[in-house]
Amino acid sequence: MAMRKAKSLQETQHYSAKDNAVGYLLMTPWLIGFILMWAIPAGMSIYYSFTDYNLLSAPNWVGFQNYVTILTTDTNFRQALFVTLGYVFVMVPLRLIFALFVANLLNKKHVGMAMYRVLYYVPSIIGGSIAVSVVWKQIFGNQGVIMSLLERFGIEQEYSLVGNPRTALFVIILMGVWQFGSSMLIFLSGLKQIPDALYESAAMDGATPIQRFWKITIPMLTPTIFFNLIQQIINGLRIFTESKIITDGGPMNSTLTYVLYLYRTAFTNFHMGYSCALAWIMVLIIGLATVLLFKTQKSWVYYEAQ
Amino acid sequence: MRKLWKRTTAIVMASTMALSLAACSGESAANSQAGGDTATAEASSAGEDITLRITWWGGQSRHEYTQQILDKYTELHPNIHFEATPSGWDGYFEKLATDTATGAMPDIVQMDYLYVSTYAANNSLADLTPYMEDGTMDASTIDADILASGNIDGKQIAMPLSTSLLTVAYSPTCLEAAGVEEPTSDWTWEDFAAMCSEVHEKTGYLGTSSGPVDDTNNFNYWVRQHGEQLFSDDNKSLGFEDDQITVDFFNLWKGMMDDGAAADPDEYEQLLALGIEAGPMATDECGYYINWNNYTTLMANVNDNLKMVTPPQLEGGENGLWMKPGMFFSVAETSQYKEECAAFIDWFINSEEANAIMMGERGTPVSSTAREYLINSGKLTEQQQQMFDYVDQAAPLCGDTPAPDPVGIAEVNQAFKDAAYSVFYNQVSAEDAAASFRQQANSILAANN
Repeated sequence: MAMRKAKSLQETQHYSAKDNAVGYLLMTPWLIGFILMWAIPAGMSIYYSFTDYNLLSAPNWVGFQNYVTILTTDTNFRQALFVTLGYVFVMVPLRLIFALFVANLLNKKHVGMAMYRVLYYVPSIIGGSIAVSVVWKQIFGNQGVIMSLLERFGIEQEYSLVGNPRTALFVIILMGVWQFGSSMLIFLSGLKQIPDALYESAAMDGATPIQRFWKITIPMLTPTIFFNLIQQIINGLRIFTESKIITDGGPMNSTLTYVLYLYRTAFTNFHMGYSCALAWIMVLIIGLATVLLFKTQKSWVYYEAQ
Repeated sequence: MRKLWKRTTAIVMASTMALSLAACSGESAANSQAGGDTATAEASSAGEDITLRITWWGGQSRHEYTQQILDKYTELHPNIHFEATPSGWDGYFEKLATDTATGAMPDIVQMDYLYVSTYAANNSLADLTPYMEDGTMDASTIDADILASGNIDGKQIAMPLSTSLLTVAYSPTCLEAAGVEEPTSDWTWEDFAAMCSEVHEKTGYLGTSSGPVDDTNNFNYWVRQHGEQLFSDDNKSLGFEDDQITVDFFNLWKGMMDDGAAADPDEYEQLLALGIEAGPMATDECGYYINWNNYTTLMANVNDNLKMVTPPQLEGGENGLWMKPGMFFSVAETSQYKEECAAFIDWFINSEEANAIMMGERGTPVSSTAREYLINSGKLTEQQQQMFDYVDQAAPLCGDTPAPDPVGIAEVNQAFKDAAYSVFYNQVSAEDAAASFRQQANSILAANN
């Protein structure tokens, strides 16, 4: 044991001179991008978050004032956080359930299945775009298809779904659920990794399809579910395009999502320092949510190797 | 398996977080790559080739004719070239702010009344007074009040290009269909509300389809009619004491919306998405539209029947109208060619060549020589003629010109819209909304000024 350790240490030293240089050289394109596009801007934004930077003139150090204001008196911050968390709590479970449902349907050997997979993936590719948001706005607006249908069925509404502070967020949630494609693909690959033998022996023992789903598919799929859950929660917390284009945060801030508020603070109201502080609070929230989820995985995520 | 999943999860999580962060600070990343543009600055004005960067907002027709004007100028001054970045109103000031932050503000910038104070407070705009004094610019053609609107703390940091006056455009076709007589300058808010209701009842169309609370201009007019001013002299608070003024304004519009006579917030947002040229005024399916007096000119492409009248009077109230500078040209403090910019702006405002192409599309020209030239040119369309006539029609109803909007006006506008919408959506009483607007506006103004 001791000998092996010594040997590996020796090897490390042996590699270090030339090979490490080659390694760093190969890494350079990524490293440059990382430093210029990530590390420096991130560092600057930490600095700005402690200043009154307004984009137009030099920043002045204000200490924790931005953070204190945000956490104590900023009602828009509370509203934005409330809206965003509400969005995530409703959208993510719905999207995952829908994705799993469709993945199950597509996990069969059938002619043309590849085409269906592509078709169901399309909303994910185009879903977050401006154009689709504009279409969505029209569909759910007061001249749109949905309102006309509701009217035909005798459901008269005072306001359209996007124009009503009570329902506007649901339109945006629906659009989020509709973009289920990437979770679906990951579920699909997860499903394919479940050994057929499990299903066969269960069937032999007389398990119904529903039992097989709950007792085999779901437990075997928990790592995939966990992965999707984390990814979608992080994505969900960052929602921007939909709320910017469909409702622009309105009516009455009912769809003022966190990133939209952050954007508005920085570029409409020129409070860049304040906005950077908002951004870092979001980073903390995302980090916290992720850590908490990782803590829970022991109790419900099943890894085969255990 | 377990390891693989854990690792993948961790990697994706980390990269997603990184992306989310980068999205927030993406603008500062742009910082590092700008700044190279000013390096070409050493060339002096004497005949050497110079490229001036210029930016403005507007619609397609403005982009096209402004480019023609720039080409014309290059024809007259072969050493001056332009690099134009036109854009729509949406996003214009976001982009300008980031350009300014990176030191890459274009040499000549179209500026709005909304933001003049903000940019002035940050010393981003060049003082043009020296060029007015040495004769590079002739400002004697410009009305003193209007010129002063671009003068902040003794520095002429913006040259007004045009003036605007609040107006009510109306569709004679729609009014005729409803059996409503065309309004005259002595009409009151009661008349306006009654006529809008009448239009709605007779035709089913909206009486008025403009957004009364999108910004504080309509409200400003209302406050001035009550003999008060919207902002205090030091810009640290609202300028009026009586919340009843706000309450009455909210209730007036709420009443009209409840009657179906005015577009409620829901209908309005949908109309906004269509853009004004595809709105109901284009097809005479709406009675009135409150806007600025270049509105009928802007609409002439799609509907050349529209007419204008001064906004309603308040019974027993004062004259609330004011000449608003329509838009400005400013020169960046960072520009290496301030004198050339000043010469161009002077030519743009005063010359026959430029105005013959522009034909008042940016609003009534500020320059008296340009106005005279246009009126006598015989080339004005009916709508352009209306725009000029309107200035005379409105003059007796004008009060003092208010000071430029305070820093933080965009936030005040947002707070005003939120307060008004909370009334329009029946969520709170007009009294509570008025009080909440005052509280928010005062704290925004105190923090910014």
